[in-house]
Amino acid sequence: MTNFILALVFGVFFGFSLNKAGLTKYHKIVNVFRFTDMAVLKFMMTALVVAMIGLYALRGLGVLTFPAIPQTYIVGNILGGLIFGVGMALTGY
Amino acid sequence: MKAIMNYIRKEEWSPYVAGILLGIVGILSVLLTNTLLGASGAFENLAGMIGDVVAPQAFDNMYFNFIMPPGITMGVVLLIGIFFGGMLGAATSGTLLWGKKGSANPDAQWKRIFGPQVWKRWVLAFVGAIILEYAAGIAGGCTSGLAISGGMFLAPSAFLFIMGMFASGILTALIIYRKRY
Repeated sequence: MTNFILALVFGVFFGFSLNKAGLTKYHKIVNVFRFTDMAVLKFMMTALVVAMIGLYALRGLGVLTFPAIPQTYIVGNILGGLIFGVGMALTGY
Repeated sequence: MKAIMNYIRKEEWSPYVAGILLGIVGILSVLLTNTLLGASGAFENLAGMIGDVVAPQAFDNMYFNFIMPPGITMGVVLLIGIFFGGMLGAATSGTLLWGKKGSANPDAQWKRIFGPQVWKRWVLAFVGAIILEYAAGIAGGCTSGLAISGGMFLAPSAFLFIMGMFASGILTALIIYRKRY
């Protein structure tokens, strides 16, 4: 039960940060593919770097163990990504 | 304190600040609940629930039995949180368009490219969302569940996905915008 409450809280912060970075707007998403507004990449890469440093540091300290990470299917991942990009540029997700 | 409150009220944060916030949320999610942040899987869980009621035979396959079991999962709760979090973000900056005029198609750039019709916006959003969810099913996650959550662990799948996403995204944008690119 606590997990569900925590998931709700994480979701609120997740949505909040997406909204404040402007990723809930169509033009922000499409303009990254037109190279006129790089906010999406800045946002994603900052989140990645911060989380990477935190997670690997905490694992090094022995505080947490990694859960099952997304598996690699080279064809599936690339094909999925290729189709995903079409939808992303169309919808602005 | 006042400076912080004023910053929260701003409509658009620096993407770096928002990114740091998301990164911290990602770390806490792994630390406290041992799960990854993902949004697209929740739709499949919900679809599985509906499918079990409507057409149980069609949904009695490997995918819905083992890979994406139906039910109210953590992802579904997270998705509800994301919805309200986005609303909260808009409300704090005073840009929440709920119930206001023109809220069905508010994006100026979209109107310039596709026209001002509301139905067009909804049809395109619906079709695009089908493509997105289908692709997320093939790849094993979406931008949040695979690209960001996988990237945090330096998973190769995440970077393959980002590569594909940008390659076809740029191409699609080129086709849609043509001379206006």
